[in-house]
Amino acid sequence: MRGMKWVLMMGALLWVLMPGSAMAAKDTVVIGLQGPITGPWAYEGQMARQSCEIAAQLINDKGGILGGKKVELRVVDDAGEPKTGALAATKLVGQKDVVAAVSTYGSSVCEPASNIYEKYKKVNIGYGVTAVRLTQRDFTYFFRTCGRDDSQGKFFADYVPAKFNAKRIAVMHDNTAFGKGLAEDTKRALDPMIEKGALEVVYYDAITPGEKDFHVPLTKLRETKPDVWYFTGYYAEAALLVTQAREIGITCPFVGGNAAINNEFVKIAGIDLAKGCYMTNEPLPADLPYPEAKEFLKAYKDKFGEIPSSPWPIYAADALNIIAYAVDKAESTDSTVMAGYLRDKVDGVPGITGPIGFSAQGDREGVPFYLYVVDEKGNIVVSK
Amino acid sequence: MDTIEPSKTHTIFGSNKTTLVLIFGAVCVFPFVSSNYIIDVAFFFGIYALLGLSLNIVLGEVGLFDLGHAGFYAIGAYTTAILNTRYGIPILVLLPVSAAAAGLFAYLVCSPIIHLQGDYLLIVTLGMGEIVRIALINNPFDLTGGPNGVYGIDFPSLGGPFVIDSSIEYYFLIWIVVGLSIWGLIRLQNSRIGRAWNYIREDEIAAKASGIDVKFYKLLAFILGAALAGVAGNLYASKLMCVSPESFTFWESCLMFCIVLIGGMGSIPGVIIGAAFISLFPEVFRPFAMYRMLVFGMAMILMMMYRPGGAWPRKRGAVSFKSLLGGAESRDV
Amino acid sequence: MQIFFEQLINGLTIGSFYALIALGYSMVYGVLKLINFAHGDFFTLGSYLGYTVLVFGSAFFTLHFGLWGGLVVAMMVAAVSLAVVGIIVERLAYRPVYPAGRLPAVVSALGASIFLQNLIMVIWGPRFQAYPTAVIPNIHMQLGGIHFTMLQLLILVMSFFLMGGLYYIVQKTTFGAAIRATALDRDTTALMGININKVILFVFTLGPALGAITGIMVGMYYRQISFTMGWNYGLKAFTASVLGGIGNIPGAMVGGLILGVLEMFGAAYISAAWKDVFVFLILILVLIFRPTGLLGEKMADKV
Repeated sequence: MRGMKWVLMMGALLWVLMPGSAMAAKDTVVIGLQGPITGPWAYEGQMARQSCEIAAQLINDKGGILGGKKVELRVVDDAGEPKTGALAATKLVGQKDVVAAVSTYGSSVCEPASNIYEKYKKVNIGYGVTAVRLTQRDFTYFFRTCGRDDSQGKFFADYVPAKFNAKRIAVMHDNTAFGKGLAEDTKRALDPMIEKGALEVVYYDAITPGEKDFHVPLTKLRETKPDVWYFTGYYAEAALLVTQAREIGITCPFVGGNAAINNEFVKIAGIDLAKGCYMTNEPLPADLPYPEAKEFLKAYKDKFGEIPSSPWPIYAADALNIIAYAVDKAESTDSTVMAGYLRDKVDGVPGITGPIGFSAQGDREGVPFYLYVVDEKGNIVVSK
Repeated sequence: MDTIEPSKTHTIFGSNKTTLVLIFGAVCVFPFVSSNYIIDVAFFFGIYALLGLSLNIVLGEVGLFDLGHAGFYAIGAYTTAILNTRYGIPILVLLPVSAAAAGLFAYLVCSPIIHLQGDYLLIVTLGMGEIVRIALINNPFDLTGGPNGVYGIDFPSLGGPFVIDSSIEYYFLIWIVVGLSIWGLIRLQNSRIGRAWNYIREDEIAAKASGIDVKFYKLLAFILGAALAGVAGNLYASKLMCVSPESFTFWESCLMFCIVLIGGMGSIPGVIIGAAFISLFPEVFRPFAMYRMLVFGMAMILMMMYRPGGAWPRKRGAVSFKSLLGGAESRDV
Repeated sequence: MQIFFEQLINGLTIGSFYALIALGYSMVYGVLKLINFAHGDFFTLGSYLGYTVLVFGSAFFTLHFGLWGGLVVAMMVAAVSLAVVGIIVERLAYRPVYPAGRLPAVVSALGASIFLQNLIMVIWGPRFQAYPTAVIPNIHMQLGGIHFTMLQLLILVMSFFLMGGLYYIVQKTTFGAAIRATALDRDTTALMGININKVILFVFTLGPALGAITGIMVGMYYRQISFTMGWNYGLKAFTASVLGGIGNIPGAMVGGLILGVLEMFGAAYISAAWKDVFVFLILILVLIFRPTGLLGEKMADKV
C-alpha cells in the first residue's frame, strides 16, 4: 500500500532521529538550561545560553564541584511557546542525569514547564520570569533568581512621581503577559496615592506589539497631558513609541520598564531622541559592583566580544551557579534535598547579581531597582 | 492515475486486516518502550491529528476554505479552562460541553457568511480566528485572563482513583478519542451527509440543482468541524494545565490547513500522515536549529510538487483524480 | 478637529503601505488565482536589502549622490533584486504546482513564505535592525495647526505616483488590457494570442518590486525592521485586497487606503487594543452585503 510506506518511513525516521536519553560521563554534574533559543526571543535565549556556558566554565576552571566533578550544560530549546515549553521540560526531566534546570524566559512559557518540573520533582530556577503568580502556587521545586513585577511597580510608584513632581501619570502597556502584568502592578502600587488625591492615572491603554504605527494612540495620550509616561513593554515598540511621540509633540519624560531600554533601543531611536529617556531596571550587567560580576563579565567579553545587553542572561548564570553551589554544599544531587537546601540554607550567598537568597515561596530576595537614564553619549547610566 | 478497486471503496486503509492489527498493536505497545518525552510528542501528534480531522470535515469533504479553525480550537480550550477553574466542573464532563460551545459558536458566526465563495470565505474565517484570539488577549469581562491565559486546570478523572495524569494515560486518552473520531468520520463519509458534502465540493451548482440544501450541509460541516476542534481544545487544556492566546494564532490555522492538504483532502489516513508530518518534523529536526524551518518550508513546496493530491489521497468510486483538487470555485480554469 | 486630520494623515500613510503591498497580492491573484503568501516576505526582503545598501554604501553614496541619492540607489537595488527573486520563486515554487489546482498552491506559497522568512533570519539575524537615521529627514511641518512630518508627505507623494503609474499601465495601456483580460479568463485570453507568460512575468516582477520599495519606505518611517514583519503586513494587505475585491487592481489601492483609515478610526475612537477586531468586523459586514468586495464585479455563475 502506497500510503503504508509513508507510515513506515515516518516511523523509522522518528525512531532513528528522535534523541533518546543522553547519558553523561560519571564524573560530571549535568545542569539543564531551557530557553528560547529560536523563536521571537531568540536573542535573549542565545545570550542566556552563552551566559550559562561561561558560568559553567568558570566553575570548572576553579576545580568543579562535589570533589572535582565538572559541570556540564545541557540546552533544550523551547522556542518561546507554552506547548514547546512543556515538551522541553518533559525532555529534561526524562534525562535522568540532569540534576536541575535553569528554566526559562517568559512567564507564559514557564507556567506549563514548571508544572512539569514540579510533578516530576526536579528543581527548576527561572531567570526571565517576573509574573507574580508563578510563586503563588505552593510549589516546592520552583525558584527564580530574577525579581517580580510587583517590586518593579512598587519602585516606580515610590520613586518616579516624586522625582518628576508628577500629578498626571500615563501608563501604557502592550497586552503581553509581562507588559500587562507590570502595568497592573504599577497601577496597584499607585492606588494609595491616587486615593489620597496626590496624583491620577490619566491614560491607561495597550498598544499591539509587532505593529509599527502608534501615531493614533500617541495622539490620544498627548491629549491627556501627562506629566510622565511609563511604558511597560519591550524595546522594539519603545523605540518606535518615543520616536513617534516626539514627532507629534509629546514632551513629557518617558520612563520604560525593564524590558524597554537597552542598546538596541538607543540604536533604533537614535541618540538624539533616546537621550533623556528613563528606565526602571534591575542593575545592568555593567553596573553590578560585585567582584563575581566583574569576573564573569570579563570572561564573557573575552569569549563573545561584548557583555550581555540585558540583565536576564546574568540571572541565568546566577541560577546555574546557585544550583552548582547547592549540589556542592548539600553534597547531594537529590532534588528534595537540593530544594530544601536552596530554600532554607541559601542566604546571602555571593552571586553575580548580588547576595542570593530565596523566600519560602521561591522568590529571589532583595532584588534592587534603579532608575536609569540614557546620557548624552547614548550610554545607559544610573540616574542621580 | 490510480487504479480504482471498487470492492475496497469502503475499506479506508485499502489494505488487509493484518496491517490494521499491526498498526493497532504498535500504537498500544509504543508508549511502554519510549520515554515520557516521546510519549508527550505522540500526544501532541494526536492533538494535531484531531485538529486535522476536524478541519478535514470543512476543507476536505466540503471544500470550504477555512483559515480560522484555530478559533474553534481556542473556544473549546477556553470553555474547558474557564468552567473548570471557576466552577470546578470535571474535565471529562466538559468535553462534550466544549464541543457544544465550539459548535454553537460556529453556528452563530458562520450562518451569515456561509454564502461567500472561495477566497472571500477564506479571509472571513481568517478574520474570525483573529477576532477570537484578540478577544482572548483583551480579557473582556475579566473572563479569559488576558495574555496570561487561564491556569490551574485539573486532570481528567473518571471518579475515585482513576485520574488521568501521566503521559501514558494522556496518550491513550487522546488516541482513543482519535480512534472514535475516525470511526465516526468514516461512517459520515459513507453516509448521505458525506456524499452530499463531496457533491457540493465537486460542483456546487449541480448539487443545488439536484435538490441538496447546500446551505444546511455547509453549516453542518462547520458545526461538526468546530465541535471536534473543541474536543481537541479540551484535551489540550487539561494536558497543559493552562491555556494562553499564543497557542491559537493564525499560524496554527495555517498548520491545520497544511495538514489537510499535505495529507490529502478528504482522506482520513492522509490527515493522520499530514498531522505526523506537521507535528513531528519540527521535533525531529530540532537539533538543526535555525535551518530546520528552511527545510520545513522547502519540504512543503516539494510535497505539493510531487504529491499534490496529498500523501494518501482520497479514493472514491468513480471520481477522477483532478476534480478532487479543483475546489469549489466555478470560475476555475 | 486638527486631531482628526492628523489621524487621517496617519491613516492614509499606513494605508498607502497596505495598498502598495495589496497590489502585489491582487495582481498575482487576478492573473493566476493564487494567494501568494510569500508576498509579505518579498516586502521584508526588500526592506532588508535596502537596509544593507544604505548601511554599507552610505559613505559612498553621500559622497557621490548626496543624501537622497543613497535612498534612490537603495530603492533601485531592492526593486530590481526583488523582481528577480519574484521570478525565481514563481518558477521554482509555483509553476510546478499549477496543474495541481489552487489549494496545493496555497500550501506551496506557505512553504515559500516559511522558507524566505527563515532565510532572512539566517542571513541577517533574529534581532531587529535599525534603519540608519542619517537618511531619514526629521523635519516637522505644520499646516493650519495640523502636525505632520516631511517623511509622511514624502511617502504619500511617492505612493500616489506609484499607484497612479500602475493604474495608468493597467487601465490605459494595451498591455494593461492584456493583464485585465488574463484576470478575467485566462484560457480565452491565451486563445486570443496574448502571451500569458509575459503577463505572468510582469506581475511577478512588478508586484515584488513595489513591495520592495514599500519595504524601504516602511523601514524609513518606523526606523526598524525585523524578519517577521512580513507576516503582519502581508495579512493586513491581503485583507485589504479582499476588501477591495480580490484580483481587482484599483480595488487593492482603495482597499488598502480604506483599511489604513479604518484602523486609525478603530484605534483612535474605540481602543488601540481592539482595532484589529474592528477592522475585521467591518470587512465581514462589507462582504455580507457585497460578497465580492467593494469594487469586485459579480461574475456570472457557470451553470
